[in-house]
Order: sequence, then C-alpha cells, then structure tokens
Amino acid sequence: MAETVWNTDTGEAVYRSRDPVRNLRLRVHLQRITSSNFLHYQPAAQDGKDLIDLATFRPHPTASGHRPDEDEEEELVIGWQEKLFSQFEVDLYQNEAACQSPLDQQYRQDILKLEDSGRRKNRRIFTYTDCDRFTNLEEHCRKMTTAKEVPSFLVERMANVRRRRQDRRGMEGGILKSRIVNWEPSEDFIKSQHVINTPLQTMYIMADLGPYGKLGYKNYEHVLCTLKVDSNGVITVKPDFTGLKGPYRIETEGEKQELWKYTVDNVSSLAQPEEEEREQRVFKDLYGRHKEYLSSLVGTDFEMTVPGALRLFVNGEVVSAQGYEYDNLYVHFFVELPTTNWSSPEAQQLSGITQTCATKSLGMDKVAYFSYPFSFEASFLHEDESAEALPKWPVLYCEVLSLDFWQRYRVEGYGAVVLPATPGSHTLTVPTWRPMELGTVAELRRFFIGGSLELEDLSYVRVPGTFKGERLSRFGLRTETTGSVTFRLHCLQQSRAFHGVQCSPEKDAEWLDRLGGFSQQSSIHNVLEAFRRARRRMQEARESLPQDLGSPSGTMVS
Amino acid sequence: MAEVHVIGQIVGATGFSESSLFCKWGVHTGGRHGKLLSGVREGQTQVDTPQIGTGLLSHPIDLHFATKGLQGWPRLHFQVWSQDSFGRCQLAGYGFCHVPSSPGTHQLDCPTWRPLGSWREQLARAFVGGGPQLLHGDAIYSGADRYRLHTAAGGTVHLDLGLLLRHFDRYGVEC
Repeated sequence: MAETVWNTDTGEAVYRSRDPVRNLRLRVHLQRITSSNFLHYQPAAQDGKDLIDLATFRPHPTASGHRPDEDEEEELVIGWQEKLFSQFEVDLYQNEAACQSPLDQQYRQDILKLEDSGRRKNRRIFTYTDCDRFTNLEEHCRKMTTAKEVPSFLVERMANVRRRRQDRRGMEGGILKSRIVNWEPSEDFIKSQHVINTPLQTMYIMADLGPYGKLGYKNYEHVLCTLKVDSNGVITVKPDFTGLKGPYRIETEGEKQELWKYTVDNVSSLAQPEEEEREQRVFKDLYGRHKEYLSSLVGTDFEMTVPGALRLFVNGEVVSAQGYEYDNLYVHFFVELPTTNWSSPEAQQLSGITQTCATKSLGMDKVAYFSYPFSFEASFLHEDESAEALPKWPVLYCEVLSLDFWQRYRVEGYGAVVLPATPGSHTLTVPTWRPMELGTVAELRRFFIGGSLELEDLSYVRVPGTFKGERLSRFGLRTETTGSVTFRLHCLQQSRAFHGVQCSPEKDAEWLDRLGGFSQQSSIHNVLEAFRRARRRMQEARESLPQDLGSPSGTMVS
Repeated sequence: MAEVHVIGQIVGATGFSESSLFCKWGVHTGGRHGKLLSGVREGQTQVDTPQIGTGLLSHPIDLHFATKGLQGWPRLHFQVWSQDSFGRCQLAGYGFCHVPSSPGTHQLDCPTWRPLGSWREQLARAFVGGGPQLLHGDAIYSGADRYRLHTAAGGTVHLDLGLLLRHFDRYGVEC
C-alpha cells in the first residue's frame, strides 16, 4: 500500500490583497477515508481529480435522497461571508420558538425558502460568518492549554476588537485633534485604545463529520478552515490553502474513529490581463503626473561645473573648544586656498569669528560650545597640464582667544588642518599651541594685565606664505601645548569627471586618480575646442573666397 | 533636479542643568535653489520630565527637499527650553547642525549655547529664572553677527538622521 502524502502543517498563512475581499472564492473538498475503504484508497492525484470532476458535474440530489457514496465526498465553492446552513441550523431554525434575534428570523426565512425550493447545495460543509454566535463564542471561550483557563483582561479586550468596528470610525481623528492627552478616558476609549486597533472580519468553514444519517449534531462539527480579513486587506488563512501540497486530515474522536481528508483552494477569479494592464497604466500615469508636478515646482536643471574643474562645497561648523586655561573663549578661523589652481566665487565668507562663550566643565575638561555655521565653495581648475606637482588642498587655520573681565583678550592657541579630501562627513579635532615666554613674570603679566605673545602672521602655523627657501626652521620658538578645537565638516565634491558615478563604498579612490581623470577630460575638451576653432577658421576662409571659386557647381558651369 | 530625504528623530537632550526640557526645532534652506516639497518645516516637542537620567523626546523629522544646486544645504536649528513647576518657560540653549551630506544614517550631537547677559541678569536668572533671549532667531543658524554675543555653554541635543539622496550622481556630485 502506498503511503499517503498528508499535509501536517496546519499553521496559518498571511496574504495581502488590494482588491475588495468580496471577490474571494474558496473551493473546499472533503472526503471520508473510512477504515474499510482506506485499504482501497489510491493516493494518486489523477484518481482523486477524476472523483472531483464527477462530483462537480453530477447534479446534486435532494437532501432526502442522497446515496451513501455521495455522503463520502463533497466539494463546494464558497464566497466570502457566504452563509451555508448546517443540518443542525436547518433543524433549529425551522422551529420558530428558537428564533430570538432579527438575524435568527432572517435565517429562518432563508432556510424555509431553501427547503421549499429543495436546492440546498451543501450537506456536510457549512460556514459560520462574522455575525454568527459561534464566531463570538469561539473567540471568547477558546482555550490554549489544558488548564482551567479564565479569560484574562487582554483576551476580553481583544474579543471586543472585532465587534467594535462599526462605532470606531468617528472617533479616530476627533480626539487626536482637539486634545492630545485624554485625562478622563472613558470605558469605550480604553477599549479602543489599549489593544491592537485593526478590526477583523472572521469566517469559519466547518464540516459536520457525523456518521451517515446522523447529521446535525453539534459534537461532530469540526473547523476546516479559519479566515480572517482586516481592513488593510490582510487575509489570514489557517490552515494555508492546500495548493500543491497534500490534503489535510481530520480524525474524529469516539469509539468509531474515522479519517477525513480535505483540501482548501483559492479559486478567486483573476482579473483580466487587459484590466490589469489598464490598472498599471493608471498608476504609471499617476506617478508620471506627480513627477511632472514636482519638477514643475523646482525645475529640472542642476548647476554644473565647467569641464575639468572640481567644485568643493564645505558645510562646516565650529563645534567646540576644550581644554584651555582661561574662560570666555572665542575662535577666529579662516580658510586659505592654495595660490595655484584654486579659486572661489565672490561673496564667499572664508573666515569667521564665533561668539564669546563661557566654558562649562565636562569631565576633566572645560568646554565651550559654539555651534557656529560656515559654508563655502571653492573650485579647482588644473590649468597647467605640464606641471606634475601634486595639487594642494585648502587649509583651515584657527586661533583661539580668551576674553577677560576687562574685555581684553589673550591668545590661547593656534592650529591648522588640511581640509579632508574625501567627500562625506568629517569631525576634525585640531590641537593647538601658543607661543610662550619663560619665567614667572610673563605668566603673572598674562594673568593680571592680559596680553601675551602673538604670531604676526597666522600662516606661520604651517608653512609661512612668505617662505621661499628649502628648509623651514622654527628653532628658537618656544611653545606650549594648549587645548583643541573641534570642527565638523560635511564635504561635497562636484565634477563632470564623476558624472554618472554611483555613490558606493568603493567611491573613495585616491583623489589623485580623479584629478588625473578630469585632467584627461579637460585635455579632450581642449582638443574639441581646437577642432572647433580650426573649423571656424576654415569656414571663414571659405566665405572670403570669390563666389565662383567657392561653389563647385559654379566651376562646372564656367 | 536632485532630491534629498531627511528622515529621523530628535532623540533627546543631555547635559542641561535644568530638567523638564522641550525643544523647538526648524529647518532652514538658504539660497534660491532648495525647496521643501513635503514635510513639516518646524515643530515643537513635548515637555519631558525624566525621573532618572536624560530626557527623551523622540520627535519625528521627515522632510523631502528638491534642489537645483549645492548652495544652501538645509540646516536644522533648535531652541531648547525648560519648563519649571510654575509653568514658566526659560531658555536653556540654542543649537544648530548642518544636515549631513552623505547618504546613510547619522548620529549627531549638537552642542547648544545661551546668551549670558550682564551679571545682574545672571543673578536674576539663578534665583528667579528668565534670562536674555535672541531677538532674531536667524543668529542661531547664521554666523554673521555672532561676535557680538557673549554666551554660556549649554547641553547637547542628540539627533538620529537618515539621509536618502537621489540623482546627485547624475550631476557629478560625490557626497
């Protein structure tokens, strides 16, 4: 006997759909495998399919006259929230005394109509919809363990989530807008706010697995499939649609154990290809319009550099100064562009003075915060192709000063740093020093009178601008290490050489390579320019010639 | 046209001597190139009174800019205020930071400062509260007239910002 392939995974599956849920269709197929015909059961797929086809095409007999082998198997296509009555319900609602709610009355009408027409399409498979009592009871009384469980606070709240969906809509915006905090939360407010807020609709597909001729007993009811749909279009199915996997199995309890197999399939009708196409076209159109709208607000162009040039944008910030001897610090800084190849547009602030800031202690250090913004742009144009020298990069110089009670200042430190050559964010801490005199007298003077040694030329911090020799000697200058200044720089570089280069981690190839790259490009540019000049000269020469010489046809005629 | 998305939050503020802090923030785009397409340009957080440790604000920032050039990169500026038990608000610090220019997530610490005033005003601030404030808010995010000010160091505002850039590579910008 061949092994039957059962699907034992009865966990839930989650689907998401943007289409209305009323289009959902399920096909449920239920078959009894009794112990007797289990021996003859062929697991081959074709066999089962044949049976399905037979069952589908065979006209359904009336409820009174079905034969036993039809009782073994049933297949139905069920829509979302479609009510199919069980034998139990049919029996119950035919009795008028049992009908209490308007829903019951409604069911009674439906059942009577069905009985009259004799066209009940289901026997064993039936459903409980969202409005049914079972759905509420099932959620309220479900047990997770074998212990004697009492529904907890949260369980009760969650059970309310489903029922709350009608009265929920009005509350959403109103409370939030008028006041942010609700100081006297009402019962309903708590109910709606303390638990997850998406309302669900539930539907159960059930089967009555009673023995033949004994349909309509509650004990034989089994849940085949649970469907939950929330307002965001999330569909939860437990167990998952069968698809290509094997059927699910149910074993009934009692002395006469019976085995049932069933499959659940999604047979919702798909949208037509042309409809889908139209939908996609609408979306494309919408996004296109939105894009047009945005570009109409701003414009499509972008500032570009001249070919062969590199533009450097720096958004910088003097963050703090720490570790200095005296209080009330301020920072004077400027950016020096190298004299060759670099230029800066007019109206660029390349220097700045921060406010005077009283320090506060942070750990061991005294720190002054400035948050002083500066931003500038500069452009690098490699004009001289023959020069092989390395391009120089701009340098940031800074000078820290302190202000005393009498509004006199003294120098606290000098520092300099080369701006980072890679784009991105950089935090630079510039250590500083100051010139000092030996002896207590100088220190006393610095303390009481203020004023101290200063550099005449700030560029002395690095290589002085006036320096021409080969070796720079600072022998004889006595200095003292003081605190440090922190700068934060966000650098951007723009060049046609980077055109179309993706921003990637590998982007920071050596900037020398890049400079090589756009010097190449500038040479191409030069060649093009030369070609254009030559062509213009040629055209001018042609125009200056006599007319008959100029046109070849003229020479032919003469 | 290139686009910048700034998505993040004002995480909190530390290092202030006052408790019960709240933060007013705004974004400034200089120049004629930048334009805010969507998002809120300025906002104010709730007042946070931490029992232990630092104040958490967790205020969302979600901005979408379009730009035609690189000048006038957006700047965020903050005013940190503290609220005392009488409901009075007093300035705790002004801060600012450039929105970073490279894509990715950035954790930023923005130090703040506040105007100091004369010793009389300092004394009054220590006992009664209050204290001087800036007349024009633009001094927070521009450096033009800063040298006139005498300030005291305040605490630090912490930010988490995520940046998404679009089409900058098309125009040869490395960031």
